[in-house]
Order: sequence, then C-alpha cells, then structure tokens
Amino acid sequence: MRVFIVLVLLFVCVPVTAQDRVLTVDLARDSVDITTGFDGAHLSLFGEKNKNGDVAVVIKGPLKDVLVRRKSSFLGIWMNRESIRFKDVPRFYDYALSNSEDNILNDSMREEHDIGLKALRFKPEGDALDAEKLKTFSQALVRNKQAEGLFPIEARDIIFLSDTFFKTEFYVPSNVPTGQYVIETFLIDGGNVVDKHETNVKVAQVGFNSNVYMFAHSYSFAYALLIVFIAVLAGWLSNAVRQKNK
Amino acid sequence: MQVHLPIAEMSISAEIIFLVSAFVGFLSGVFGIGGGFLTTPFLIFTGIPPGVAVGTQASQLVASSVSGAIGHWRRNNVDIKMGLVMLIGGVIGSFVGIMIFKLLQHFGQVDFAISILYVVLLSSIGIMMLSETVFSKFFKKKNVRKEFNTLKISPFISSLPYKMRFPRSKLFISALVPGGIGFIGGILASVLGIGGGFLLVPAMIYILGMPILLVAGTSLFQIIFTTASATIMHAVFNNTVDMVLALILILGGVIGAQIGISAAKYVKPAQARLIMAIMVLLVAMQLSYQLLVEPSELFSTLVGP
Repeated sequence: MRVFIVLVLLFVCVPVTAQDRVLTVDLARDSVDITTGFDGAHLSLFGEKNKNGDVAVVIKGPLKDVLVRRKSSFLGIWMNRESIRFKDVPRFYDYALSNSEDNILNDSMREEHDIGLKALRFKPEGDALDAEKLKTFSQALVRNKQAEGLFPIEARDIIFLSDTFFKTEFYVPSNVPTGQYVIETFLIDGGNVVDKHETNVKVAQVGFNSNVYMFAHSYSFAYALLIVFIAVLAGWLSNAVRQKNK
Repeated sequence: MQVHLPIAEMSISAEIIFLVSAFVGFLSGVFGIGGGFLTTPFLIFTGIPPGVAVGTQASQLVASSVSGAIGHWRRNNVDIKMGLVMLIGGVIGSFVGIMIFKLLQHFGQVDFAISILYVVLLSSIGIMMLSETVFSKFFKKKNVRKEFNTLKISPFISSLPYKMRFPRSKLFISALVPGGIGFIGGILASVLGIGGGFLLVPAMIYILGMPILLVAGTSLFQIIFTTASATIMHAVFNNTVDMVLALILILGGVIGAQIGISAAKYVKPAQARLIMAIMVLLVAMQLSYQLLVEPSELFSTLVGP
C-alpha cells in the first residue's frame, strides 16, 4: 500500500516539481465526514521536498472564543468563581516536525507562523489583566484542550519514505469540532522558512447526522414536535404491548 | 458501538447508554417512578453537556409518563380538570425553568446548580425511603388506600382567590394551588430533566388533599405535558435536544420498563425499596463528594459566545 501511494505520488508530483517547485504536498483526503458511526479519523499527509531542510506541518481548526473558568471554594463548596475569555482560539491544533523542536524552530518563526504549542498566544478579552493570572488561565486552557484530545502533548513525527518523500499522520478525535481546517506545511532551512504550502480540510457532519443537525437548528419547533411525537408513540406502544401480554 | 450524537457533537457508547436507560426503565417499571433523577446525572457524568442531558432526558420522560398515564386513564383514575389546571402551571413553569437554565448558563453555574439541587432532592428521597423501609419492619402499616382524604386544608390555602370546583376529586379549592404545584414541577422538568413525581405526589396528597386513588394518574397525566413542553423549549431556545440520544434513551426506557413491570410481581417491595434507597443515596453522595472535595482540575473551558 505504502509503495503504491509513493508510486502514485511520484507519478503525480514529478511533472510539477520539474517546474521549480520546492515543496509539494497532498492529503490522502480533503474532508473528514462525521457520520453516525464516526469515532475519530486519521488524516494522512504526503509531501515531497526538493531542497535541503526540515519540514514542519501545522493543522489548525476554526477560531472561536473560549471562556476559561476557575473553581474555588465558597462556603466549603467548589464552584466556578473566576473566568477569562480568550479571543480566537483554534478549536483544534496539532503539529508535526521532522526534527526535534529545538533544532528546527526559533522564537521569531514561532511568532510568525504559529508553529508549535508554545507559539500559540491567547489574547484575553479586555486588558489590564494580571499577568500571573493570565498565564495560569492560558496554561489551564491548553491543559483542558489536551485532555479533550484537541491540542497535542508534543509534536508528531514526520517520516521520510526516501530522501525527498515524507509522510505524516494526524488524528482527529470523535469530539472534533466541525469547520474549515487549515494545514500549513513549512520547509525550514537554517532558521528560515524557505517555502510554505497551504491546504484545507473540511470537517463536517454528513448524511443522517447532518440532516438532524440542520433540521434541529433551522426548524427547531417542528424538530421538537417530532421528538415528542416519537416519545408519545413509544409510550403508547409500550402500554399496548403490556395490555396484550396481560 | 460508538455513536456520534449530531447535536451534542460527540461520540458515546450506545450500549452503555442503552443499558443504563433500560436499567432505569426497569426500576421505573418496578417502582412506578420516572427515573429522570438517575438518568440525568449519569448522562452528565459520561461527559454529555448538561443542557443536552436535561433537554433530551425530558423527551424520554414523555414516553414513560404516557405509558404510565394510559393505564391510569383506562382505570378512570385521572382527574382531568385538576390535571389541566396543573399543566397550565407546568407549561409556564417549564418556560420559567428554561430562563433560569439560561441564566445559570450565563453565570457558568449550571453544573453547580444541578448538583446541589440533586443532592438536596436525592438525599431527602433516599432518607425518606430508607426510614419508611426501616419503620415498616417494626410497625404494621395501616391501609392508606382511602377514597377520601380527611386532611384539613390550611386556612392560608382556603383563603386564596380563583376558587374552582373539581368534581372528580370532590374539592373546592383555589386554582392557584394546583397551578402552583404544576409550576414547580415544570421548573424541575426544565432545570433538572426530571418529571418531579416524587415531589408532586406528596404535594397533591398533603397540600391539595386529593384522593390518593387519583393522585398517581393525575400527576402522570400532567407530567406528560410539562416534560413535552420542557423538551420543546430546550429544543427551541437552547438547541439542546439530541434526537439520536433521545431514541436510545426512549428505546432503553421502554424495554426496561416492560421487564420491570413483569418483574414487579416477584420483587419483595421492602427489599426493593431498600436497594432503591441505597442507590439514590449513593448518587447523592457521589454528587456531594464532587461539590465538597477539591477537584483535581479547577479549570474548565467553554467554547462559544
């Protein structure tokens, strides 16, 4: 299978790279379909580089505000008491590197291209917040996202199939948020980004799930009536069966 | 089998949810309870957002209360007029409940409010059941099935306006009283995802003074409407009713209840009540543990506006 994919890639990529392309990247698929049986999915990325250097791949989900809350004890009961809202946090983030993080990345690159978990800076809503508190809440945000499997613990590996062909695989868990995902591939040499490639993946509910979601959100009253109708029918049937068995 | 819920947008194990709802359905068949107070905390415990747990559980209660109410209806044990007055209060209550729920959501206190209300409700039911079981061991119970309630109605209640005649219950009482009881039931349905039978039944006996024979049927009759209205309001105002989860819960509940009703003949009531009381108290203890002991993760995140 792997050999076959490489051959296909060779066939597809060689004519393109002949035209002076440094970095070529393709995904095994360009969408993640969430069906009723969806239980997470692997996203494979194949690429070819025609220059020396390391490769970094970043996958980012849609941006949304996130409210981080902290519990503290009030009259002996633990409840949410403080919160900070962070602006434009990616709902999913993961990255892969072909070398150890310290060997590839430097701070300016992290800053500019958002490569690596340390590169993510979370902007709080409103200013004049205590720096120490901000740091604690940012760390808590990352920790919670990691626990949900939506942020990585560490970088994934990029595997070289030959000197030029590489492959990496991301995993999106079953609770993956829907939306447009951006996958950026960087070729890095001597602390500089030599080339960059960007591609998109659409994560969406399909089929029955998508229909239910659309129905529930567009015609919520009719949707609710249908569910109540099903419930009444089930209750009635249950009683009818009982009467028959008497 | 992992099933992806379209509204909750997460995967759950269908077997586990099915088995739990069948188990609760079994208990509801044996004891004649709705069982929302066991299913909702369980759903939240498995990681389903509280809104989805409460809203979807309400739809399962529609099925179980319909099934129960039909039986009482056939035996003509429903005071329809009383039920209608109660359900008007219930529908208003379920609306107010949704507003309370939204307010709690805004302040990030949904989990806290649900937990603390459950602790209070479950520990009082548990202790009540436990003491009943213990006492019935020592004292022979008198027959409580009387057609007419001799309880004196308090002067405050008889002074309330909008008096109405309820011929079936042989009562002349202010409509505000049954309406008010329904109203509280409606709030409970919307905020906690429970029918509230365990609260309505004693209220109807001791506050309204209804004949005990009519109480179960009438409360089930109005629970159909309050839980249906809670389902509709959660779907319309919060978009938190998950059809796939609802189907699993309803199916499990119906099948479990069938087995439970057949099994009820073989179950010794005192023993069963004891097991039930212990179970209810365990849930209450687990919930209070979460409230009182410092959690290992103090922070939580919420995506969205």
